[in-house]
Amino acid sequence: MDGRWYRWFDLVLSCQNLKALELLIIPCLFALIALVIPRNAMRYYALIGGVVSTVVALVHAMYFIPTTAYVSLVDPQWTTTFGLTYKMGYDGISLLMVVLTNVITLLILLSNFNKELASNRMFTIMVFFMQLALLGVFLSMDGLLFYIFWEITLIPVFLIALWFGNPGRKPALIKFFIYTFVGSLAMLLALMAIKMGIGGQAEAVSFAWADLMAVQLTSCSACWIFGGFLFAFAVKIPLFPFHTWQPDTYTKSPMAGTMLLSALMLKMALYGMIRWMIPLAPEALESMELPIIILATIGVVYAAILAIKQNDIKRTFAFASISHVGLIAAGIVLWNMDAMSGALIQMLNHSMVAVGLFLAVDIIESRTGLREMDQLGGIAKQAPKFAFMFGVIGLASISVPLTSGFIGEFLLIRGVYSYNWIIGLIIGSTLVFGAVYTLRAYQLSMYGPSKNFNFPDLAWNEWLVFFVLMVVIVILGICPQLVIDFVAPSVTRLFEYVESSKNIAL
Amino acid sequence: MVALIVLFLSGLISLFLAFAKKPWMVLSTAIAGLVAGGISLFTEYHYGYQLVGYEGLKFDQFAVFYGLIGILFTLLIILSGYSSFKQNLNHTGDYIALLLFSLTGALCMLAFTDMFMFFLGLEILSIPIYVMAGSKKEDNRSTEAALKYFLTGSFATGILLFGIAWIYGGTGSFRLDEIQTFIESNANHQPMVYLGLLFLLAAFLFKVGAAPFHFWSPDVYDGSPSIVTGYMAAVVKLGAFGAFMKIFGMTFGGLHDFWAPAMMGLAMLTMFVGNLSALRQNRFKRLLAYSSITHVGYALLTLIVQSDESAFNLWAYLFSYGFSTIALITVALIVNDSEDRIESFRGLIRRNPFTGFVAILALLSLAGVPPLMGFFGKYLVFAEAISSQPLLVVIAIINSGIGIYYYLRVVILMLQKQDANAPQTPRHSVPALQFVVLIVCAIALMFGGNMLIF
Repeated sequence: MDGRWYRWFDLVLSCQNLKALELLIIPCLFALIALVIPRNAMRYYALIGGVVSTVVALVHAMYFIPTTAYVSLVDPQWTTTFGLTYKMGYDGISLLMVVLTNVITLLILLSNFNKELASNRMFTIMVFFMQLALLGVFLSMDGLLFYIFWEITLIPVFLIALWFGNPGRKPALIKFFIYTFVGSLAMLLALMAIKMGIGGQAEAVSFAWADLMAVQLTSCSACWIFGGFLFAFAVKIPLFPFHTWQPDTYTKSPMAGTMLLSALMLKMALYGMIRWMIPLAPEALESMELPIIILATIGVVYAAILAIKQNDIKRTFAFASISHVGLIAAGIVLWNMDAMSGALIQMLNHSMVAVGLFLAVDIIESRTGLREMDQLGGIAKQAPKFAFMFGVIGLASISVPLTSGFIGEFLLIRGVYSYNWIIGLIIGSTLVFGAVYTLRAYQLSMYGPSKNFNFPDLAWNEWLVFFVLMVVIVILGICPQLVIDFVAPSVTRLFEYVESSKNIAL
Repeated sequence: MVALIVLFLSGLISLFLAFAKKPWMVLSTAIAGLVAGGISLFTEYHYGYQLVGYEGLKFDQFAVFYGLIGILFTLLIILSGYSSFKQNLNHTGDYIALLLFSLTGALCMLAFTDMFMFFLGLEILSIPIYVMAGSKKEDNRSTEAALKYFLTGSFATGILLFGIAWIYGGTGSFRLDEIQTFIESNANHQPMVYLGLLFLLAAFLFKVGAAPFHFWSPDVYDGSPSIVTGYMAAVVKLGAFGAFMKIFGMTFGGLHDFWAPAMMGLAMLTMFVGNLSALRQNRFKRLLAYSSITHVGYALLTLIVQSDESAFNLWAYLFSYGFSTIALITVALIVNDSEDRIESFRGLIRRNPFTGFVAILALLSLAGVPPLMGFFGKYLVFAEAISSQPLLVVIAIINSGIGIYYYLRVVILMLQKQDANAPQTPRHSVPALQFVVLIVCAIALMFGGNMLIF
């Protein structure tokens, strides 16, 4: 039999765990079927899709035993001539991200439910397409496959922002696309380097995660490879000097685009750091740790100060996002159990808060037509439910105890503090700054003299989104152990794996 | 060998059939000839016999695989250009026959075993294209393109002949295998060989359109009828690169240390020149010309890095590049105004969703966005080069980053709404044959990449 055709055949057979592949098939099917769904049923259809994929992800999470090392979804017993293996699977960390992706997608669809956008065919397709690509990123256990999915995510979010965004979006979007594309190219370079071998290091057998891990890097090539990955992730997160695309893109995107960007795409980069950047080139971690933490610290403080000075409420939260994720990035490169748990919890929390805050911004904008804080005010009187929910999300963003934000930031700041107390002190200021800009935005928009606009209170779907967010935030705040127990065995295994491969190198 | 004869005959027949003034007869002859040529070429490979009727040509695996995509691209181009060919009933047969003759030349350039045959192939490839470039007779730019292409092309041919002569003087042979053994068995060569090699290099760089020998290409691409531009970008490049690989990658592989540094510098220059000039183009075919210069720069990487996979990677690269170009040229034929401004693509995705979709696929594939075919072509080239030439790959990657800007500009234009006050452009109807071409290109661009790396 001809080898190539046989491989295609085998690829289908090798999905031995078909139950698991449904994670990817469901969004794919929903995106395709959306082509023929009538326009007036589109919003219900989208919602059903979101619910189904969320339920599937939750079922996976329920049947997942945290101590299981790794659940393989696609595992062909061959590699292509050029090393692409199509390996897919998840451990605790990936599965957490998968659940997060599906839940957030559902919330995004739900919060758009009563808008005109929800009946748009292309919008629905693009959201499912995005979900598919994100799941691909989180499930890939093959470097090239990871890269391919990583790049695909760019297209739907770009199209959503281009088609449905605010006026004057074109330059911002071109900047965004080029910035992230160039960053990804650096990652491709690093992947190729580790696969093909540079600086006298041996060639990897294939792009499979385990094979790439097995490559022994010299400390010089490790730095280059680490740097390539870092560039891609630093643009996407964004870390301090690479953040300039972010505020404009967030502001010019429609609500769904902003939510996808901040709640999910950014997590891709953080996940990439955990899964790919550090495990593949652990030799470089020691020398790169400090620079990354310093950049993150600068970003935390700098973005917080900018957030305080903004008048546009969406821009405030865009800068707030930079400020929060800097801390997470710092926590990840510390590479120890406590900081990593903190980082993972904070990743969840940041997604929840991002969805909540940008939904609040959109509610304000669509009802008053304004985003400027000095022209807003007095909304709390007209819309008490909204004011309450917005307040809860705001408090989670400030990291008040009993919200998930507190646990995450506490663990992260403690980690950085024990690494270097000066940096810890500086980075800890995020708590103060966070309170300042969030409360300022809240106070200026919600309180004060009532302005002349009619502000209806929350619609049912908006209320539902806020309610779900609130429940998750509080549950995680009271019982973070739920998440920590879920991911801890996987994280420990990852640490051991990295440690052992480092030992051989020395 | 059979394939050559079949293609030539089908060209000849379509030339005479044109007297019947029935364009469909010409078209079907051409299609039959191309299919038969492709099949005979494939069987020559598949059954493993080499029909060495004349010792100047040898259809080995290299020639067969390069030749097959040459035939495929010509077929697609004839299909997509058919609607413009048949507008002038007197010349339908001429156009198609010239393309087929030129393809015969391209096959010679892929299968030659001595320099004579190579030179013949090059001329057979080029002369019909000189004529085709000027086939829009009422248009001054087309005439200018033909003249320019002819003059510079002849000059390059002269240089090539000169180089061949020097090499003959240095090695005492025209045959590639003899030259190769001579080069590899002797350590020191006369300066004649090096001089000849440089002349050959210049001529080749001219033919593929690499900087600093690229100045003809934007004008010629721009002025020629669109379909000829597509042919030049897809098939002529294929032939030229095939011969380039045969002569530099294989025959003169022993002198790699001598010519590789020069080619490295020129490859970098080519990438930057192509990319930076493309940033500010307003005409679509000019943009395509500059982008093709950049792609030549990437493709040169396969020659610079010598390995067993070089020939395959170059093949894969040209394969992916050809599909994108043919798709874009077909879209331009359907949509563009006579001025060929990029602006005429505005709102294409709304006016004509399928055409717009394919055009966007092709542009993104040129830019190297996965999982499209262009990404895999680029990936193969870069991955092969990275372990020996990391710097060059870094520069190529930087250039891919620059390149995304001008591709994205066109993509955004296609995605945008049309201005309300602008005159409404009618929805373009897509002729059936061009529709087929677009579908083939779309399928190849979306799924072909996976097959390339299997």
